[in-house]
Amino acid sequence: MATREVISTGNELSAIAAVDAGCTFFGGYPLTPSSEIMHVISDLLPKIGGTCIQMEDEIAAICSVIGAGMSGSRALTATSGPGMSLKAENLGLAQMAEVPLVCVNVMRGGPSTGLPTRVSQGDIKQASNPSHGDYRSITLCAGNLAECYTETVRAFNLADRFMQPVIVLLDETIGHMHGKADLPTVEDVKAGIVPRKKFDGPADEYFPYQCEATEPAVLNPMFEGYRYHFTGLHHDKNGFPTEEIETCRKLIQRLEDKVMFHQDEIESNEEFMCDDLTGAEGEVLIIAYGSVSLAAKEAIRHLRADGIKAGLFRPITIWPSPAKRIKEMTDKIKNVLVVELNIRQYTDEIERASGRLDIEGLYKVNGRAISPHEIVSKVKEVF
Amino acid sequence: MSKTLMRFTGVGGQGVLLAGEIFAAAKIKTGGHGLKTATYTSQVRGGPTVVDIQLDEKEIYYPYADDGEISFMLSVAQVSYNSFKDGVRKGGTIVVDPNLVHPTDEDRKKWKIHEIPIITIAKEEVGNVITQSVVALAIANTMMDAIDKDALIATMLSKVPAKVHEVNKVAYALGEKYALEAMA
Repeated sequence: MATREVISTGNELSAIAAVDAGCTFFGGYPLTPSSEIMHVISDLLPKIGGTCIQMEDEIAAICSVIGAGMSGSRALTATSGPGMSLKAENLGLAQMAEVPLVCVNVMRGGPSTGLPTRVSQGDIKQASNPSHGDYRSITLCAGNLAECYTETVRAFNLADRFMQPVIVLLDETIGHMHGKADLPTVEDVKAGIVPRKKFDGPADEYFPYQCEATEPAVLNPMFEGYRYHFTGLHHDKNGFPTEEIETCRKLIQRLEDKVMFHQDEIESNEEFMCDDLTGAEGEVLIIAYGSVSLAAKEAIRHLRADGIKAGLFRPITIWPSPAKRIKEMTDKIKNVLVVELNIRQYTDEIERASGRLDIEGLYKVNGRAISPHEIVSKVKEVF
Repeated sequence: MSKTLMRFTGVGGQGVLLAGEIFAAAKIKTGGHGLKTATYTSQVRGGPTVVDIQLDEKEIYYPYADDGEISFMLSVAQVSYNSFKDGVRKGGTIVVDPNLVHPTDEDRKKWKIHEIPIITIAKEEVGNVITQSVVALAIANTMMDAIDKDALIATMLSKVPAKVHEVNKVAYALGEKYALEAMA
């Protein structure tokens, strides 16, 4: 596939990707370190007839994006941890009503206002269930500049396929770093867009929430002659509130199953220098994601130069986690080190997927990046 | 050529971010790899800012310069100088604006320290204080011999409005002149 070279930052690439993927609406409230996404898209959208609105706060921002999603548009918001906390309730509404949208979270130190300009990966667990109730979050995590573009594009396609919010996690480092990215061409991105499903039969035969047990709702855009109801309450096939026992059970089970039955369409991971890992004594598997994976790759170069056979497993789809592949890798390789800019947030998931309780971890929560040397030292210390 | 690690430090608003961006972009345009990563405080104007610039022929993964391996640092603020000087390797080069940064005697034993009044040059000789980042860019490139000069200038000009091209060319030439004098 043809590529093009772009020199940019992660945040800028995410904004450009949204527009290339057909996004025509951005509703946001600027929040460090995500603000450049809004800054860039506020320039791009009006040029193509789209709309960018700065709302009065993060809650209004996600609400405006839900409205745009209901009316059929591809819509984006961008924020950081404190904004995610504010958006949580309405992310739940979008899950319940099955409104597609993309929410980019450029992670900074938390909880609360935390370290606004510093890097963190503290929102990993939050991303799996931002609001109350049962549903399956789809969360993607960019591990390099090019993925700030490609994962944003993928998020829009997944949102329309599964009719729900998709979270894209960047972090301060990757959002602000400035360098080269090899990107797919705009033509290829546009050719890859699959528009969301639409019902085109008679209006009186249209029931948006009457669908297969493992498939999303089919919501026609508003104002096209198809009437139905949106609500955060448990609802029937028309979207009207109901407490009918079986309807309620089926609805929530479907929110779970529409994602979990199609994991093969969602899962994505990178295995870096893992080809020659055979499971022999002394081999090391590092698990890292986001900007930390960059330090891990550099560390693996050093470790291999020192005669330690190491490789990286990097989940790109964070939720649902690539559990099956994690199990295969951790069954094969004994020495496993998870490196993350939080305290064990993904290690817990690795333990769950692997069924092992002897996973080592390297964690940092002071707003500073983990360096390759720290990873090398940790590997030499614990294995 | 092996990896070049440079660090520009100042306080927010002085334009050190742009200088780093120009370096990285110029390196990429000449076929190599370049990365610029900045860290700053929530106090965007006035808070200590550091920009790490890495230039290499092979792909760069980790976006920050490893402390202790940096060969060149330029500093225009005491607070940033104090915070980030220890990242420079022993014997490395540090350029400071002597009106703003005062290295200790011990520092002078550890590193090659050059004093160039970057802000004054921009303000009085170029006539536009904003050009200090271009003066700094010229000093760094002249001392480090990092990138083809013409490619760097072309990239720099592509990032500033046409009406200030001439003044930025003057700033680059002055930076180069002072760097050569300092090294002589």
